Amino acid sequence: MDAMTGWWDDYFWASITVAEVFVCSLFFMVIFGLLGASAKLSSNAVARSLANTYTVFFRGTPEILVVLLMYFGSAVTLTAIAQLFDSSIRFVDIPPFWAGTIAIALVVGSYATETFRGAFSGVNPGSIEAARALGMSNTQTLFYVRIPEMWRLALPPFGNHMLSLIKDTALISIIGLNEMLFVAKQATSTTGKPFTMYIVVGVIYLGFSTIITLATMLLERFANRHVRRAP
Amino acid sequence: MNNTNDPIIRLIEVSKRYGKFEALKEIDLDVRKGERIVVCGPSGSGKSTLIRCINRMEEHTSGQIIINGHELTDKTKDIDAVRSEIGMVFQSFNLFPHMTILKNLTIAQRLVRKTPKAEARDTAMHYLGRVKIPEQANKYPIQLSGGQQQRVAIARALCMKPQIMLFDEPTSALDPEMISEVLDVMVDLASDGMTMLCVTHEMGFARSVADRVIFMDHGQLIEQAEPETFFNHPQHERTALFLRQILRH
Ligand SMILES: Nc1ncnc2c1ncn2[C@@H]1O[C@H](COP(=O)(O)OP(=O)(O)O)[C@@H](O)[C@H]1O
Ligand SMILES: [Mg+2]
Repeated sequence: MDAMTGWWDDYFWASITVAEVFVCSLFFMVIFGLLGASAKLSSNAVARSLANTYTVFFRGTPEILVVLLMYFGSAVTLTAIAQLFDSSIRFVDIPPFWAGTIAIALVVGSYATETFRGAFSGVNPGSIEAARALGMSNTQTLFYVRIPEMWRLALPPFGNHMLSLIKDTALISIIGLNEMLFVAKQATSTTGKPFTMYIVVGVIYLGFSTIITLATMLLERFANRHVRRAP
Repeated sequence: MNNTNDPIIRLIEVSKRYGKFEALKEIDLDVRKGERIVVCGPSGSGKSTLIRCINRMEEHTSGQIIINGHELTDKTKDIDAVRSEIGMVFQSFNLFPHMTILKNLTIAQRLVRKTPKAEARDTAMHYLGRVKIPEQANKYPIQLSGGQQQRVAIARALCMKPQIMLFDEPTSALDPEMISEVLDVMVDLASDGMTMLCVTHEMGFARSVADRVIFMDHGQLIEQAEPETFFNHPQHERTALFLRQILRH
């Protein structure tokens, strides 16, 4: 562990980056998942086929490729647009942080789409009718009845989606984000101790996943509070 | 705008089709304010469809439905406003499982009526008292018995101060010993002058409370009469047969 001297603060900042990517991608993953599920359940055929294309593509493509395509695809597009205005511009990209965050959110969001779709179908139609009969609008019914009831059913698989997200943050090193694998690689080339450098990464990731697993358990207990009978 | 003698619910030749199947066939029905009507008939005769068309949970395919002077059409801009004037009680209670009893009673007041929090709470507690379970306010629906849940469902509808209450077999899903506690609440409501349309096979309730009993069969309104006439001198053979079947027990 002597080899670690001088590297701890790099690992610390890298794990902060990982946490940031996780939180941002979690936010977008939920949005993509809810949009995808709404589209799949909608009566609009165009929306349904768009959502199907989305899930087929992102569930059927290696995630590392999605990260690369997102980064280079957006860079090529942005560069082309920028050159329309100023032909001396050579290269424009979106920050690897955002390209990577959106990429993994899209991938995991495609799985979340299926989770949310199933969970929405599991909501008691009687609850929805009751809300409508009380005069609540479609939107109010969605946010106050359907999503809260769906949530309980979606939580167990959703915990797995969060674990996927945290692990996928490791992929973003490939487009140059200064996260833990990136640091480990640099540290290895300076110290020549790859095992030490990578096992530290492993332990930190394990810490993150443990936190997520515990958080999911607590959320499940909270979401099921009304399912338990009187004490 | 509308005369007090005008019916609060008016159905003119209302039909409803599901695909090719005719669930309602040219129903004509007027309900005056404060009237208490019991609807009965065999399973599948269109009773639920009839009352679900009245608050537009189902859209009728032809004819006119006029509630309080407002016709229900595709263009009815604020169907949510119309619905909030019509309380509905379902066979399977349909309380919101993730909300406490109190929240079940305040949520629509807050969202639809924009009632201030304290006032919504007071209204909720008032109606919970009326259905005799104020002590259950902070429980979740699953912690209550079926009869208690159905009384909460009635209170939830009443919190919107509706002008009309629709009941769709409110006691059919209940254990026998819980039926009377729900019927008591409905009788209380009827004596209060509420306009009520109840689908039920509780003939004791129909006899003592209804101003009119309606018999439906195969999507048609076969017969309607005061309870006395309805039970003792049914005009149609189908009505007589139905009454013999349900009163035999
Ligand atoms: N959503 C629906 N789609 C197709 N048929 C339906 C639908 N709802 C009801 N029906 C049919 O309409 C008829 C009347 O149903 P309903 O009004 O529920 O009868 P009741 O309440 O008198 O038992 C039944 O034959 C039923 O199968
Ligand atoms: Mg029915």
